[in-house]
Amino acid sequence: MNQHRLTGWWIHAILMITAILILIPFLWMVSISLSDYGAVFQRFLLIFPTSVSLEGYRQVLENSPFMRWFFNSVFVAGCLTAGQLTLGVLAAYAFARYRFKGSEPLFFFVLCTMMIPPQAILFPLFMVINAFGWVNTYQGVIVPHLASGYAIFVLRQFFLQIPRELDEAARIDGCHGFQVLYHVYLRSAVPAIISVGLIQLVRNWNDYYWTLVVLRDSQKMTLPVGIVAFRDETLVQWVPTMAAATLSVLPVLVIYVLGQRYFVQSHVHSGIK
Amino acid sequence: MVTRSKLPYLLLFPTMTLYGVFFVFPFLYSLFISFSEWHLLTGDMTFVGIQNYRQLAGSHIFKKTIGNTLMYVMTTMPVSIVLGLMYALLIEQTKKAKALYRFVFFIPVVISVAAASLSFSLLYNARHGLINQVMSLVGIQGPNWLNESKSALLALVILGIWQSFGYNVILFIAGIQQLDKEIYEAAAIDGLSPFTRLTRLTLPLLSPVTFFVFVMTTLSSFQVFATVQILTMGGPNNATNMMVFFVWQEAFKFFNTGLATAAATVLFVATMILTLLMVRIVQRKVHYQ
Repeated sequence: MNQHRLTGWWIHAILMITAILILIPFLWMVSISLSDYGAVFQRFLLIFPTSVSLEGYRQVLENSPFMRWFFNSVFVAGCLTAGQLTLGVLAAYAFARYRFKGSEPLFFFVLCTMMIPPQAILFPLFMVINAFGWVNTYQGVIVPHLASGYAIFVLRQFFLQIPRELDEAARIDGCHGFQVLYHVYLRSAVPAIISVGLIQLVRNWNDYYWTLVVLRDSQKMTLPVGIVAFRDETLVQWVPTMAAATLSVLPVLVIYVLGQRYFVQSHVHSGIK
Repeated sequence: MVTRSKLPYLLLFPTMTLYGVFFVFPFLYSLFISFSEWHLLTGDMTFVGIQNYRQLAGSHIFKKTIGNTLMYVMTTMPVSIVLGLMYALLIEQTKKAKALYRFVFFIPVVISVAAASLSFSLLYNARHGLINQVMSLVGIQGPNWLNESKSALLALVILGIWQSFGYNVILFIAGIQQLDKEIYEAAAIDGLSPFTRLTRLTLPLLSPVTFFVFVMTTLSSFQVFATVQILTMGGPNNATNMMVFFVWQEAFKFFNTGLATAAATVLFVATMILTLLMVRIVQRKVHYQ
């Protein structure tokens, strides 16, 4: 028993130290952002600022279109997530409920799109957007990524667990195609839809590479691209740069804290089953 | 039973149209352009055969890029998987604090790579960075992380591991929780030591999860871009120039369309082959549905 408790302590010690190490980049960012301009690198115990100031935050909000970037991010991530969920539900329903000619190769294709990282077609896709005249527009950022292999895959996994009897009962009651989708599948898949929605929302919010390539005007940028541009504009002034980074991360952290169980749950459903 | 209904095709139509226009077509389009020369001023295109590919093959920077990418993947991926498995096993040993640890370990995954990269760029600062200050406490003179060829790639690898291993922890925990408890009860009755249980039971039973994690980590680290672009711009002296960044730089910094499309095609085909191989094996090993 004693030995058991001892190993328990060791495990907690290791996990605690690692947890702190994991959090350091984040704590460092917040700590620098709250520092006084003159005394950024006079620190207490290496990490804490010796004098606290909100000057960095003031400078971000006054000298950059930060709020504009925030609303751009809300708009882009919102549209993408709504679209990915809608198309994902439709496609997942088709794959889960029907066996049709070509269903297997098409599903295999979706698996491939889920695994091939989008960066692999960065430039080819940009040339298509360019040909459409969509450079520096929001449709250029949004439309190419409205179909999400991940959403289709996870929702299909979830739909497959819904007993077929429910489906057949609904059909006997006179429901057809879309009505079955609504009454049986959508209603019982609400937790899965929330999970996928939150995970996609965070991913879309954080997207960097594609937005960087498509959007050119400072006024149109989303937060991740905006804060890096802001660093370069201030000629790397660390206090306001870290203030911008901290502010850009907050909405995601709030979503993560509130929806914590959905984030973990969804990964139990994805891939492994 | 194969349905005759047209409904599934209707349901898949929007998704497949988007994939067609924004996934399959771009690849074919850029394949076509990679065999021609594009005159930006006149808009003319002339067929030049494999000239772009020949130029790419002769490029020392591109060769260096491939080497750097392989180096990055071969260090980030195994460490991220081993740490993921190790911490998943440790976290599963705890009781009340389990949710808290899971929460903290997953934080790097939800923080944007842009914000994280900004924080790391100061952590790596030669004079004021936290890392070198801690090192100097124990009397070690830390390197100028991002400005020395030897340490710059390592700096990106550390950031890559920090970003990715928490995701693997969650995947492994999910896998461990699905293991059959009865096998462990039987093993306990048979008096197997914890170490034997780990090597003879847990690790083999987790192999499908491990394989899935291996596939996802390999593919995602292969495509490293944002950290390179924000922290090092491929430097110093191309020491951290990697494949996706090379394509981006040729296309958007040097406006070298021919070379960029040729490199993009090589990158896409390599990723595609890697993915197809892995998906095939995953399909055989991991039983979907």
